Amino acid sequence: MRREGPVLLGAITGIVVIISTYFTTQVLTTVKNEIDQWYLIAEAFVCLVGLINLSRIHFDRLSKKKPGAANSIALLVCMYGFVLFGLYRGSLGDKQYSWLYNTTVNPMSATVFSLLAFYIGSAAYRAFRVRTAEATVLLTAAVIMMLGRVPIGKMISPYIPQMAGWILDYPNTAGMRGITLGATLGGIATALRIMVGIERGHLGSD
Amino acid sequence: MIAKGMISTFWIELSFCVAVLALISRAKKGLKIPAINKVAGLDALDEAIGRATEMGRPVHYSPGIGDLTNAQTLASFSTLSHVAKQCAKYDTALIVTNRTPIVYPITEEIVRQAYMEQGKPDAYNPDSVRFISDDQFAYATACVGLMNRELPAANILIGAFWAESLIMAEVGSQTGAIQISGTAHTHQIPFFVAACDYCLIGEEIYAAGAYLSKDPVLMGNLVAQDWGKMAMSLIILVGAVIATVSPNANWLLDILKL
Repeated sequence: MRREGPVLLGAITGIVVIISTYFTTQVLTTVKNEIDQWYLIAEAFVCLVGLINLSRIHFDRLSKKKPGAANSIALLVCMYGFVLFGLYRGSLGDKQYSWLYNTTVNPMSATVFSLLAFYIGSAAYRAFRVRTAEATVLLTAAVIMMLGRVPIGKMISPYIPQMAGWILDYPNTAGMRGITLGATLGGIATALRIMVGIERGHLGSD
Repeated sequence: MIAKGMISTFWIELSFCVAVLALISRAKKGLKIPAINKVAGLDALDEAIGRATEMGRPVHYSPGIGDLTNAQTLASFSTLSHVAKQCAKYDTALIVTNRTPIVYPITEEIVRQAYMEQGKPDAYNPDSVRFISDDQFAYATACVGLMNRELPAANILIGAFWAESLIMAEVGSQTGAIQISGTAHTHQIPFFVAACDYCLIGEEIYAAGAYLSKDPVLMGNLVAQDWGKMAMSLIILVGAVIATVSPNANWLLDILKL
């Protein structure tokens, strides 16, 4: 029953959600909305589990005085600081809480995101250094694309922006759609395997 | 009554599901299932774990940043199960990092179960499965820090990834880890292809569970996927011919839009 219970529960909820997508009756919509609410409640509850896991790992690191323990202090102070401040202010929509979030977390996220530009440069450099036919095609397409998107490309030749547009609209779109098509069918097949209980990887077994 | 605009989708999806179930039934009866192609990225998993074992360094596994409503995350669990079993078998340290709180207890259970199945429940380290942060870039930063500090010999990134894909893959590459990645997000695949040693493209991540288990029933399922792709390709081909011969004929499009 330890195995069959979750499979059965998953199958029933999966079938209800799928049917409610195609048949929009009042009953099915209500049931689907109710399932969505349960999912949100479960998700909120497991946040606590995550908090416990982080606390256990970092308190353990502190107690054993492992290297980088100062980082653990910073993490615990920030994590519990946000929780306690949020509880003290009583609402996530609170102005001061939002100010604290917007002036710390948002700029840090933007900083990490901006690093992507440098990582793209280094990844592209390495990819283009590989001397294979595929890498040559990649390099040629990339050069045309880059030149086609900046004014100097048009100055060199008016055909370069047109070639860039053609690469984007035809070979690129065709490839992307092929991958999306296969992935969609794969997703449906995976869902079906889970619902009929023949794939149990999520339960800890093959 | 089927909702407007969903009639064609309903029948196409139903036909595909029937084909999948028919092939599962055929495989269960022991009837012959066509062979499937090798997937280099999945074959390389054992090689990557072997390398980590020889070097005495950990394996890092990320199931992506999607939650349980994302099929890619569910597909990633099957690969994690295999990786965890191999790590348990060879006593290789495994670090699983989670971005989504709801995914964390599941990955923890998968790893714990893998150690139990290998008869080594005591070797399971609860700290090996970690919840990092619900914030996308905080998660990416923590993974980058982990890769620099703990120097995993293998970096396995399979699941739903967005902008953090290249940050994680590029740092993994710089630390010298053998990297196996996979996602169905078409806008992230080029990043993985450029930065990783092996990349599972699109549907290959969904095939991983079946491919790694070598279970004929699951393998039969993959054949149904190929049939589905052939049917879709046929529709596209017919559409292309109609659009070329008679550009104003929209009857196929009208049927698909039903």
